[in-house]
Amino acid sequence: MDVPVAASGVRDATRTGTRPRRRRSPVAAARERIGLTFVSPSVLVMLLLVAYPLGYGIYISLFDTNLLNRWDFVGLKFFNESLADPGFRRSLVVTVVYALLVISGHVLVGVTLAVMLASDVKFNTVFRAILILPWLFPEVVVALIFRWIFDPIFGILNHALSMLGMISSQVAWLDDPIWAFVAVVFAAIWKGYPLVMLLSLAGLQSIPKDRYEAAALDGAGRLLQFRYVSLPGLAPILGVAVILEFVWWFKHFTIVWLMTKGGPVDATNVVSIDIYRTAFQSFDFGRAAAMAVIVLFICVAFAIVYRRTVPDEEA
Amino acid sequence: MNLSKLSVALLARGLLPGLLLGLSATAQAADDPVTLTVLSSTIVEGPEGVAEQAAADAFMEARPHVTIEFIGVPANELYAKTNALAISGSMPDVFINSPEFMAQAHDLGIVADMEETLGADYFQGFAKGPLAQSTIDGEYQFAPWFTIPNTLLYRRDLFEEAGVEPPSDWDEFREVAKTMTVDTDGDGQTDRWGFAMVGTNNGSGAGRFFLVLRAHGADEPVADGDSWTTQFDTPEAVAAFALYGELVADGSVPPGPLQTGYGEAVTLIASDKAAMMITGPHTIGAVLDQNPDMAGKMAGALLPSVEGVEPDVNLGMFGWAVSSDSDEKELAAEYIRFILNRDNQVAWNAATGRLPTRLDALEDPAIARPELEGFIEAAEYGYQVPTATFYPDLFSVAGDAYQAVIIEQKSPEEAAKGAAEQTERLIANNR
Amino acid sequence: MRSRSSVGGAHPIYYPVLLLACAIVLVPVAWMISTSLKNETELFSDPPLLWPDSPTLGAFVRVFEDYPFADYVTNSLVVVLSATAISLTFSTLAGYGLSRFRFRGRGAFLAFLLLSQMFPSVMLVIPYFKILKTAGLLDSHLGLIITYISFTIPFCTWMMYGYFRSIPKELDEAAAIDGCGAARTFFTVILPLALPGMVATAVYAFITGWNEYLFALILTNSESQKTLPVGIGQLIGQYKIEWNELMAASIYSTIPLMLFFLFLQRYLISSLTAGAVKN
Repeated sequence: MDVPVAASGVRDATRTGTRPRRRRSPVAAARERIGLTFVSPSVLVMLLLVAYPLGYGIYISLFDTNLLNRWDFVGLKFFNESLADPGFRRSLVVTVVYALLVISGHVLVGVTLAVMLASDVKFNTVFRAILILPWLFPEVVVALIFRWIFDPIFGILNHALSMLGMISSQVAWLDDPIWAFVAVVFAAIWKGYPLVMLLSLAGLQSIPKDRYEAAALDGAGRLLQFRYVSLPGLAPILGVAVILEFVWWFKHFTIVWLMTKGGPVDATNVVSIDIYRTAFQSFDFGRAAAMAVIVLFICVAFAIVYRRTVPDEEA
Repeated sequence: MNLSKLSVALLARGLLPGLLLGLSATAQAADDPVTLTVLSSTIVEGPEGVAEQAAADAFMEARPHVTIEFIGVPANELYAKTNALAISGSMPDVFINSPEFMAQAHDLGIVADMEETLGADYFQGFAKGPLAQSTIDGEYQFAPWFTIPNTLLYRRDLFEEAGVEPPSDWDEFREVAKTMTVDTDGDGQTDRWGFAMVGTNNGSGAGRFFLVLRAHGADEPVADGDSWTTQFDTPEAVAAFALYGELVADGSVPPGPLQTGYGEAVTLIASDKAAMMITGPHTIGAVLDQNPDMAGKMAGALLPSVEGVEPDVNLGMFGWAVSSDSDEKELAAEYIRFILNRDNQVAWNAATGRLPTRLDALEDPAIARPELEGFIEAAEYGYQVPTATFYPDLFSVAGDAYQAVIIEQKSPEEAAKGAAEQTERLIANNR
Repeated sequence: MRSRSSVGGAHPIYYPVLLLACAIVLVPVAWMISTSLKNETELFSDPPLLWPDSPTLGAFVRVFEDYPFADYVTNSLVVVLSATAISLTFSTLAGYGLSRFRFRGRGAFLAFLLLSQMFPSVMLVIPYFKILKTAGLLDSHLGLIITYISFTIPFCTWMMYGYFRSIPKELDEAAAIDGCGAARTFFTVILPLALPGMVATAVYAFITGWNEYLFALILTNSESQKTLPVGIGQLIGQYKIEWNELMAASIYSTIPLMLFFLFLQRYLISSLTAGAVKN
């Protein structure tokens, strides 16, 4: 049957250059040309616009530079210093935990809601319209709104809780290391679940209905149908989504920056805040680039580990 | 001295611009259209932008062949944008420079010789405080435009009611803060606190903390020959960290100091929830915007300082610099002199509350409003911002430390020690 | 036959869960709306006002009067619609090519797409700035369009690739037997089936571009070229946030997105379920 979907793509991707050369038949060669034609516009754009900046970014990590008149080659100095810096290491840990919690939230909420919205529940369009709202608002605004909601004096959370009699004095949520972390995770889940929901919705639509009928005939209830029909069907889409989600939320900046600036102290100090500060407050571009390259390696490592360990779903 | 002051006044009044106009008209084909690009962050803000545009419009009206083109960037992104423009060789003719950014600007080589462009005499017309903060190695990096001296802003009416004077030392400060923390409507909950502490871990919070630190007698960092040493681990610094912790523990600070940034603190003052704040005169305007009832109730005073320590005030200054590779340096200088002339400086102050930097404007009666008195006095004590390239990093070093003390994660001694260690690492890693 | 795929019919428990989710979504949104209707003095009241005592549309008016908001909206519309259309086209073609054909560099390209997403974008701002400057495309619609497609192509391509892989190859073979060439197969047989995937991809590309801030900020200078997020960002001053105008502007900003989504979301239905696969 069909080769497991996106999985093989990534497999190919992580195994470049190891395919044995074999003589190509004219048909294969023709197909190759056609394939290249389909792909060429994208390749061109990506090469021009991404390869150069990426290369540039990696290049400057080897220099102590202000990008204008000072270019002192320092080799791996910034890499060593960053990796030796307990603050930077700690921020990596914070970021990994943050990213994992956020993605889990997205997948949980997104898939659950998608399953419900894919059914013939009434007022479907209304629900869809409301539930996609968080994604539509600019990140900046979402972060500021949530910060306001958590404000000790002017925020509606404390107001609601005290009206319910659950708290007696104003709680400074974002001043507490644990709660601040919870708050930024919550805000990120709130903001980002719609994408996973949308992807899952599209993915669910492409699962042929007869598979569900077959499972039902076999006596499978709703939950089992989900486990053995929906999930495998969603696996290709979710597989890619999870990798990209990890990468995006690992790099995430805005919500944490605007809500807590990485505080209190360093409880929510994600690595992108570190990089931003280094690049645009200290103007230490070489060091910031080195930190960015380290982030790059971590993301690549995650992608590889993920594809090796997560089994391919396929009927 | 008086004579040169007079000539400066005349220059500022517009005599020189008129002369230059005549000169440039003869020096080039009459009325060749010219565009002067200006990079500014104030142009995109509320009342500031309106006032700035009005001044530019007046300049253009007097010189029909000149177009002033603004590149407006929000202040938080100003330096990043300037950097980007510099790196790609597309600097505008005129741009905003400041004590915080000037080391970087100097490093990038984008600042023209300001003394040559504007004339050494012109610089004599500035107040002492601002000038002190605008040089690197004795060279002016910009023409100071306005200051917002950060010192103590307090509710004069509440103080008078309670029969209290602005504190003159830090123990008094703590006492006053406690006195001002009251339950105004008798519902058992405090609803006004003594001191709106800006405890965020950024320039706003750390900048204010540095003032407190300096007022205790510790500097950060201190030049040591070719390099620097930190004073974070001195007893004076420990006392400053301890004070922050004590103020919060006393209950004199509204809940959530770590998230109270500048905007939040302004809101606290405006909504009658705090009686004191470390900030500049521009805050008065911001408060009145939110609550017009506050008119006349606020005043400025020098922050207390420890025996024997001269007060240090952060001027929060912005200035205008001419770009080193501008083709219109003379016109740029003309524009700068126009913006800084007495009428414009007074108008700017009326619209935004920011203080002029030119001596002639500072003497204008319109400036001598009672609420601005304390700030004008404070402007005299501007100090030279250390031109260490790692200076901006010290904000987060200090921020981490005082936040840890406030939430009682670390003792003042531990926090101070940690800050000192981090600073030493920064010093070692840098040129 | 109902052309809606469903995991069975709707279970009763769906309703309370969906309602709960909507409530959680709507609380912050309601706060946004309520803030946009408040005047200056009511913004920060203690206790917080859930709804203004004297609601006013002043902020909504001021947004257009005090700022060149219409320009911002136009710029965003032009740039983002173009970028979405181009990105969708390129990535659909690429996704199909990657899923159906074997060619040299296929794996490398897929890997490269992923890789490009893994570098913190804050470090890419300066190189992009230099590229556009060299090409003379700073402060222009075209410059931003090109920038945005470079952001969205990786994810969109992977999306379409994954989606195409879930469309059985038997269909291509059937079409080939019927005498269709590669292009015809693609356009007439496969593409219609890929609609849900394309919709999701288009929505993603549109929203990404619409809310993008940092690059638009650095790559544009003049008010006549700035996009909506940059305009909104200017309401967040160094010292003061114009809260009610900020919220009003955000609400304006959301409307086109909502319209775009509502228009497309009914295509999130695959005709696969209508029995096309049954041979």
